[in-house]
Amino acid sequence: MRAVIAEDLALLRDGLVRLLTAHDFDVVEAVEDGPSVLGALIGHRPDVAVIDVRLPPTFTNEGLLAAIEARRQVPGLPILVLSQYVEPLYARELLSDGAGGVGYLLKDRVMDVGQFVGAVRQVAAGGTVMDPEVVSRLLAKRVRDEPLGRLTTREREVLALMAEGRSNAAVASNMVVSEKAISKHIANIFVKLDLAPSDDDNRRVMAVLAYLNS
Amino acid sequence: MAGAGAGTGRAVPPDTNAMSKDVSDRGSSAGAAGESGRVGRWIARLFRATAGFSGLSSDAPASSGWPWAAKWRVTSFGIFLGLAVTVVWAVTGAHYFWPGWIWFALALPLAFQGAIRRALRTNGRRALAMHAAVSLVVALAGIVIWLLSGHGYFWPIWPFLGLAIALAGHAWLVPMLPNNREQALRERVAVLTRTRRGALDVQAAEMQRLERDLHDGAQARLVSLGMSLGMADELLDIDPAEARRLLVDARIAAGDALADLRALVRGIHPPVLADRGLNGAIQALVLAVPIPVEATIDLPEARLALPVESAAYFAVAEALTNVVKHSEASTAWIQVHLADGKLSIVVGDDGIGGADPEQGTGLRGIERRLAAFDGTLRVSSPPGGPTLVTMEVPCEPSSQKTSPS
Ligand SMILES: Nc1ncnc2c1ncn2[C@@H]1O[C@H](COP(=O)(O)OP(=O)(O)OP(=O)(O)O)[C@@H](O)[C@H]1O
Ligand SMILES: [Mg+2]
Repeated sequence: MRAVIAEDLALLRDGLVRLLTAHDFDVVEAVEDGPSVLGALIGHRPDVAVIDVRLPPTFTNEGLLAAIEARRQVPGLPILVLSQYVEPLYARELLSDGAGGVGYLLKDRVMDVGQFVGAVRQVAAGGTVMDPEVVSRLLAKRVRDEPLGRLTTREREVLALMAEGRSNAAVASNMVVSEKAISKHIANIFVKLDLAPSDDDNRRVMAVLAYLNS
Repeated sequence: MAGAGAGTGRAVPPDTNAMSKDVSDRGSSAGAAGESGRVGRWIARLFRATAGFSGLSSDAPASSGWPWAAKWRVTSFGIFLGLAVTVVWAVTGAHYFWPGWIWFALALPLAFQGAIRRALRTNGRRALAMHAAVSLVVALAGIVIWLLSGHGYFWPIWPFLGLAIALAGHAWLVPMLPNNREQALRERVAVLTRTRRGALDVQAAEMQRLERDLHDGAQARLVSLGMSLGMADELLDIDPAEARRLLVDARIAAGDALADLRALVRGIHPPVLADRGLNGAIQALVLAVPIPVEATIDLPEARLALPVESAAYFAVAEALTNVVKHSEASTAWIQVHLADGKLSIVVGDDGIGGADPEQGTGLRGIERRLAAFDGTLRVSSPPGGPTLVTMEVPCEPSSQKTSPS
């Protein structure tokens, strides 16, 4: 799988290259500043890109802006955006095209190598991955929401895991229950939140995120 | 007469001045000058012994720019002169007391100086105070002249009348003049002194909080991480399972340290503010509020001055936090615009009202922080609502652009 990396700190850039290479990714280019990102993305059209939000020369959010622009030009281009901090506003901007194949994670998540590589693969496959911190902040905002208030504690846990982009199977193993039980929870959640049911994992994730983001 | 006193401490005959200068660079001077200098010093010493004669010596150095020692010399020379002529008068038969005129001439500059210095010390209407002081000295001088010249017809009544009318006219006019510049500057200095101290206090407290947070948070976690790694290293061969558990601990500690640092950074300078400026940062704040917030933000493309941006951001954050915590509102709104070099922000809610900055630290903190930029905070929050928190800060857009593209 061909990957592009954009990260300005050499230490992290080399680490990411090593990590992805070790997991059978072919890193075709690793850029270190904002202006090169868009060119690399459009030029290589990689199977997945891992991009840091903050890049030189302005050290603000040009990585994010480049990612959004690249996906505007190449809809659905799979991009995982990494950052030292996450901001629900940016999540909303990344998700706004509704195309999937997008992820937004704290850099901390790299420490759990297995899960991180899983997230990269999931984005490459057109899935959506959202950092637990974004999800918990979206949920915290909705504490007073009527429909969300109708969910049981269990259902809220399932909702949170789903919003992070986990598949049914992953949610089930995380909560140590059967997949069938999870399916039932999900069905209940969709009814209570008045969302259109779907069999497709990614569709469900996007529906939930869209709901939380509204 | 008034002319003589105009120059505060300078109403000294030029020759006296020259002499006191000679005295000051002793050694080089000789003869008569050196002689009188010695006498002057002697009298000065005498005077110091019988201290308390005049206010001149006590606070002289700073106020009029005159060297303390020179003033002493001049004063003591005056007194010496007065005593000398009095002795001459006594020796020559003690008839009409003509030395009175000399004493008078010597005392007059002192009187002017004292009066003017007093007047300068008053707060506020200094010009009027000065006028009154000079009038008083002139009037007293008139009486003394009348006394010395054999008190016949009390002619000083006429200058008194004139002075009194002029002073009354001045006093009557003063309140009508626009607030005078001096007063305005004085108030400005008072405000700056207070707000500067406030800003420094806030900053010092912030620093202390940061230090404590780092110490108890990230630093402690990194220590624990290091310990876990060290122990894992030792156990790697003996007990791989336990070593693995320690590695997991270490990873968790690293994650926690990062989370602590993130929270800290958010409190110092929120990254979204750095990225997007006030406009984007307020939108990000609004996103986190659980009730609908209607945000009307009218800001130029260019970034605002960084400190103002930051103060405004934290002000809005606190106001929105208060809405969530206290207001029980169902909707809130926020209006931000920049016009005529002034940034104004209104955060309103339709909640229960009754907000009172005296009841907490949040609103007071905003007030102090804004005051450092000549900004103000107003709270209108009648019982039953609505609550309006209005903040205004003088501000110009800086040249920095909002974001690269
Ligand atoms: N929007 C509001 N609606 C109703 N009451 C409010 C509102 N904002 C503030 N108040 C009241 O005014 C008081 C002062 O607010 P302030 O923000 O200064 O302190 P606080 O929020 O209680 O504590 P903190 O120091 O954590 O901010 C609050 O205790 C609250 O009772
Ligand atoms: Mg408060």
